Amino acid sequence: MSAGAGTTVNGIAVGAELPTYTLGVVEPQSMRLWAGFLRDPNPIHLDPQAVRAKGLGDRVINQGPANLAYVITMLQRAFPGSSLDWLEVRYAGSVFGGDAVEAGGRVGNVAAEESSTKVTCEVWLRANARDIVISGTAVLSLPPADEPTFT
Amino acid sequence: MNSPDLPPPPNVSGISLSGTTPYVITANENRELCATLGAPVAANGTAHPIYFFIATQVGMGKSVAGLCAACDFDVEDGPMIASSKVTFSHALMTEQSYWITGEIRGLTRKRSRTLGVMDLLEYVLRLALPDGTPVLETTNVWVLPRRNLA
Repeated sequence: MSAGAGTTVNGIAVGAELPTYTLGVVEPQSMRLWAGFLRDPNPIHLDPQAVRAKGLGDRVINQGPANLAYVITMLQRAFPGSSLDWLEVRYAGSVFGGDAVEAGGRVGNVAAEESSTKVTCEVWLRANARDIVISGTAVLSLPPADEPTFT
Repeated sequence: MNSPDLPPPPNVSGISLSGTTPYVITANENRELCATLGAPVAANGTAHPIYFFIATQVGMGKSVAGLCAACDFDVEDGPMIASSKVTFSHALMTEQSYWITGEIRGLTRKRSRTLGVMDLLEYVLRLALPDGTPVLETTNVWVLPRRNLA
């Protein structure tokens, strides 16, 4: 069973806003850790002088996958116990060291299937309450026992 | 489709990106990563899903610089990630070996209002268990600015 705007399936309302997830400060130290996770020594993530030399600003630039990870974390918090089935995103901008970021989303569709509930969400990440730096769509599976309520 | 008024991009379609060693998400690194995100660490050994990107990038057969070089592009010229897509068949687990296979789909040369001329590099990576069971497939697109052609 699938739902249109304004309807609710298994306690999840189509059109409901997901609880936002905010990280008050993106720390340069976190970028150093991510450089290790990604085995990516690009100095624009580590050295403000390298950023200046490339004319990209004067603060280190967060790794794109780290920005995407904030969005996924928002989904995990919104739907505890869910699994991510599918995700497609566009990277539209940069997050700099010291920025605050906010991830959020909205339920676009809910479909009750035999063994799970499939939830499709539009998702986004905003830097400093300003620019959208990531936008996209995610599909999650929720086991019946773990369905949250967004109405 | 390439812009007809520009020289064609290098033909890189089909270049293998398959890894030569397995990739393991260590429980310790997963904990560190989750801490940077304020994300809960799963008690059942599930890794943070962002490892779809990390595991495939680290476990593929080329570094990012090597991938750029295959496209006749210097990584110092600033590649930018444009989009990612992933389809999961199974959740990623810590302390599990994974093998990565994949290939470059191609380069598309275009004019850009902000970058002058750019190539869009598209490549696909697949992550599987040692017995071949598929776990995920991801497609990334990078922008390679070609300032020398602007």
